[in-house]
Amino acid sequence: MAMTEQGAPTGRPNRPRVFWTMRRRQLLWVWGFLAVPVLFYGVIRFYPTGHAFWLSLTDWDLMSEPSFIGLDNYTRLFADPQFGRVFRNTFAYLIMGTPISLVLSFIIAYALDRVRFGHTFLRALYFLPFITTASAMAWVWRWFYQPAPIGVINDFLSGFGIPQLAFLNSTTWALPSIMVTAIWAGLGFQIIIFMAGLRAIPNTYYEAARIDGLGEWAILRRITLPLLKPTTVFLVVFSSIGFLRIFDQVYNMTTNDPGGPLGSTKPLVLMIYQTAFSSYEMGYAAAQTVVLFTILLVVSLLQLWILRERT
Amino acid sequence: MATIALRNLVKSYGKTDVIHGINLDIADGEFVVFVGPSGCGKSTTLRMIAGLEEISGGEILIGNEVVNELDPKRRNIAMVFQNYAIYPHMTVRQNIAFGLYTSPLSREEKDARVTEAATMLGLTALLDRRPAALSGGQRQRVAIGRAMVRDPAAFLFDEPLSNLDAQLRAQMRIEIKRLHQRLGTTIVYVTHDQVEAMTMADRIVVMRDGHILQSGTPTEIYEAPVNVFTAQFIGSPSMNLLPAAEVGGRIVAQSGGPLLVGLRPHDLVAGEGEGAFSISGEVTAVEPLGPETLVHFQTEGRTVIATAPARMVPAIGSTIQASAAAGALYLFDAKTEQAMGRR
Repeated sequence: MAMTEQGAPTGRPNRPRVFWTMRRRQLLWVWGFLAVPVLFYGVIRFYPTGHAFWLSLTDWDLMSEPSFIGLDNYTRLFADPQFGRVFRNTFAYLIMGTPISLVLSFIIAYALDRVRFGHTFLRALYFLPFITTASAMAWVWRWFYQPAPIGVINDFLSGFGIPQLAFLNSTTWALPSIMVTAIWAGLGFQIIIFMAGLRAIPNTYYEAARIDGLGEWAILRRITLPLLKPTTVFLVVFSSIGFLRIFDQVYNMTTNDPGGPLGSTKPLVLMIYQTAFSSYEMGYAAAQTVVLFTILLVVSLLQLWILRERT
Repeated sequence: MATIALRNLVKSYGKTDVIHGINLDIADGEFVVFVGPSGCGKSTTLRMIAGLEEISGGEILIGNEVVNELDPKRRNIAMVFQNYAIYPHMTVRQNIAFGLYTSPLSREEKDARVTEAATMLGLTALLDRRPAALSGGQRQRVAIGRAMVRDPAAFLFDEPLSNLDAQLRAQMRIEIKRLHQRLGTTIVYVTHDQVEAMTMADRIVVMRDGHILQSGTPTEIYEAPVNVFTAQFIGSPSMNLLPAAEVGGRIVAQSGGPLLVGLRPHDLVAGEGEGAFSISGEVTAVEPLGPETLVHFQTEGRTVIATAPARMVPAIGSTIQASAAAGALYLFDAKTEQAMGRR
């Protein structure tokens, strides 16, 4: 040996071999803790998801053993006239609901951010709908939409001599009416998130801009909105998923004819629900679920790609 | 380029006054540093000059014009913040050009100004980068660049170096000072770091509890502090203070004495020398600095710091004598803490 460490004994000391080395003990703990989420996600999330893919290729009806029928369910679905309708409805909820709710919640958050008086109370007020049960909320709105003298809206309109609107009984107005409820229900959450985003922007950015002579509009356009982008991206994706999966409001506001009148408000999830639990066509329902899953995936990825950070 | 004047300036939040009617005249092209402990009102004063805080009383004049009711943008000042306030979603070029957002200059002129500022600050190679890819010192230079392109009447700096490490701070200090020499623009600079104040200022303004205690050149403040606070705040390590009395024409340490004698550690030399003032005590700590050694020792129940030659490192617990030469004694009234001249 050319080099010897000063003070180091020559050769290794004969330590007794231990089975539970430090590394093994650490591994035990690591896997012990990891096992809980791995098991949870495996059994509760991934296994059913994977199984749904398999079921979508069968004709399972709960009673008999599922048998493999290839892509029959999918060909049937794409030929189903009801599916076209439901697909259009779902995207109507998405395309109108997401932008309207985002713009509304941003305006409210932006205004609330400047209010000093009763700030906490106002914020709680806006958040209230979010913690209310969807069904309770849907029933209250359902009452709003009734004809005069029961429904407040029509009652109010008739006071000005405006003719009654059929709202939930009209094939034209039922979907927007339900959407208003859905937007209102989700607003509180979006406002809170936008407000957190606004609060996270350092005040000096605004002060520097004021010294540089920017007006309110320029500050909003050049500083606030760009810096709020991560929050906006999150809310766009989150709210889109919410509108694509809309169910509670529709189901509870159209209980006599779920998704009606004449299927004009029926979203994909309600169709899946009816196929599975009214017609018991589990295989067919699974195929619809897979289609919904694909739509959600494509829409989310598309949004993330469009709104990506360009460097 | 402009003068700045504060006339009986008052700031109050509700019923609490935080600035108690201060007066100050800043000459055109002067580099004035506001220094003081946190909460002394120096940043508030700066923000009032900038127009970011409302003025509760008195007047601020920039270039002989009362600006109390003018928006920040109409005061023609530029400000550099402690956390830089450069926008993460813009490149360095866009950030610097942002200072010209409302300027009526043509695109070419704006570009020329940005390039000029970047060259001056050594940022040319970084113009197309985002702030995330810059070091702290570079970010601060971008913030200065954004202030420079405006060609403002005055620069306001709010603790601009506090977020930098010691080495960068020393370097930026020199850079800002050089920039001032080149541009000749009035600068008001706020810091709590007395070293920054001493090294950069044409004039230091010492503040405490919303009052100006003293304003003068670094040398004046260091050599002739008006009271105990200023004496201890400026200079590092801090000035030693001991209760003292005059006995037979000589100043001697005496607990409960009517005087306070101030001794800068660099004037109090350990050893057997016979000066105008000498004390002795038990050594509690030593700090070898290389060229010299700081010796902490106990006397009259107080810890005093003296300097010793580099090679002399006294043992802890040993008794040491230290003395100061004539002229190095700062005398203060023990009750009012006001200066009574030097001896």
